[in-house]
Amino acid sequence: MVSSRDARRKAPAAGSWTDSVGSWATTVVAVSVLLFLALPILVVIPMSFSSAEALTFPPPGFSLRWYESFFGDARWLQAARTSIIVAVASSTLAAVFGSAAAYGLVRGNWFGRGAIEANFLLPLIVPQVITALALYMYFARLGILGTLPGLIMGHTVLGLPYVVLIMTVAIRSFDVRIEQVALSLGSSWSRMFVSVVLPNLAPSLAAAWLFAFVISFDEVIITFFLAGAHETIPKRMFNELMLQVNPTITAIATLLISISIITISTLALLARRSGLLR
Amino acid sequence: MAGNVEVAHRVQPTSSRLTLPKLGEGFAQVVPALILILLLFNVPLVIMLGWSFYPLETPLANYEQIFTRSIYLKVIGNTFYIAALTTVACCLLGYPLCYWMWRLSPRWRLIIASIVVLTFWVSILVRTYAWIVILGNDGIVNRLLLTWGLIDSSVSFLYNQTGVIIGTTNVLLPFMVLPLFAAMMRLDRRILLAAETLGAPKGVIFWKIFFPLTLPSLAAGAILIFILTLGFFITPAILGGGRVPMIANMMDLLINRLPRWELAAAISGVLLVFTMIFFAGYQWLNNRQQAS
Repeated sequence: MVSSRDARRKAPAAGSWTDSVGSWATTVVAVSVLLFLALPILVVIPMSFSSAEALTFPPPGFSLRWYESFFGDARWLQAARTSIIVAVASSTLAAVFGSAAAYGLVRGNWFGRGAIEANFLLPLIVPQVITALALYMYFARLGILGTLPGLIMGHTVLGLPYVVLIMTVAIRSFDVRIEQVALSLGSSWSRMFVSVVLPNLAPSLAAAWLFAFVISFDEVIITFFLAGAHETIPKRMFNELMLQVNPTITAIATLLISISIITISTLALLARRSGLLR
Repeated sequence: MAGNVEVAHRVQPTSSRLTLPKLGEGFAQVVPALILILLLFNVPLVIMLGWSFYPLETPLANYEQIFTRSIYLKVIGNTFYIAALTTVACCLLGYPLCYWMWRLSPRWRLIIASIVVLTFWVSILVRTYAWIVILGNDGIVNRLLLTWGLIDSSVSFLYNQTGVIIGTTNVLLPFMVLPLFAAMMRLDRRILLAAETLGAPKGVIFWKIFFPLTLPSLAAGAILIFILTLGFFITPAILGGGRVPMIANMMDLLINRLPRWELAAAISGVLLVFTMIFFAGYQWLNNRQQAS
């Protein structure tokens, strides 16, 4: 649809001299901006395979020493384990609580619904450092500062808005009449939910869970304030970067970039399957 | 867009006429998440704001300190300065990129958009870290400038405002590009075709039609970037090396180094008020854009 229109738009090619200069200038500027955006990724990946002791670009030779130094370091591996535990736990909690809430928000029609929905999205708007600080003071008083459950709770709050956002869109586009048919044919609500709603929303739910997982897995600020002695990968990276520049981080960064590419492809796939993107 | 209309059309009669919704239907499903967010977000936030008025005999003393002591004013001013420059940079860099993407063929558009989404998706930490390698004294930029003979000795881009602004711009640019590009794609191309068939030159079409129509989205993006920079923590901490303190970094200092919780709470209050004011503007622009 768009392409045919494009072709028509480009058809009157006899643009004036200033037009073509203008479009060339736009192209040059745009490509430079794109390069600027992608530069960090383009630099970090080759550096991670560098054989040099210091950070030099381009790398003088190929080696896997920084990957060896990551996988041979018990502290990094422990941090990876903590990251995964926290991300799995918090994204699962966020997915369960958030999708139930999204269902209620879409299907319900009671007073104050809009305000409650807005409140769920509030952690996206409030600067994370404020949320971190508030939880820090709160958890300190409750005596759960620096504990794993406390950290998981903090991450759940951050993941919840994304789940609510994704799931309200998904549920809104799911025809309520299908549910009503199941109910009118004598199914109980819970039976209807499990065998009608859930299978239909599964791709969106998976996408929401993955989103919350990545939010938690990459999270630095809340973790920095709440984790105490626990280390996650991003927290350890952050602390190391503040002290010195250790090339091992290039290897971790490259691993994180690969994880990003995998998750984003999965998300795109899920979005297509759930019909959110067409 | 046609899909939305169709859905609204389909859902409306059933929910309003056929089955009268029970009062409070769906509320039970919301309750667990609501309790969670109240206990883990709203209550902590309120308690912290309460802290900011401590000691209660002089409830506004902390706020007074923030707005009278030069150290705090300097950090706040510095933060606003960096946020403003980052916003301008994101507008100047983001708009041409979006416009260029908009003019590409659908296939190329998808490829470029995927690259932007990928950069958005990669950890902020990774993207910030790379700039140490690029901008360091022995970094790529300095060595290029030296070999080209443009400079005699290396220029320091790191651990000063320049480095922080380059880093924050790089990290936040996708927040500008993605919504702005989406807004351009929503634009009705027939308007531009109409102008073209009526013989308007390309420059006139751009400046009189395209740019004014996308200006509200650009403004909304600018506000978003500004809000995000105000509360930025990671990038200034790493690329500023403690020499470019921003509000968030000062809060870290007040909590972790010299425990002055009540002051940190008051600064949070100030930052929160600024954020909410700008967010209200953002919402207003978005609603206006959606209405038109």
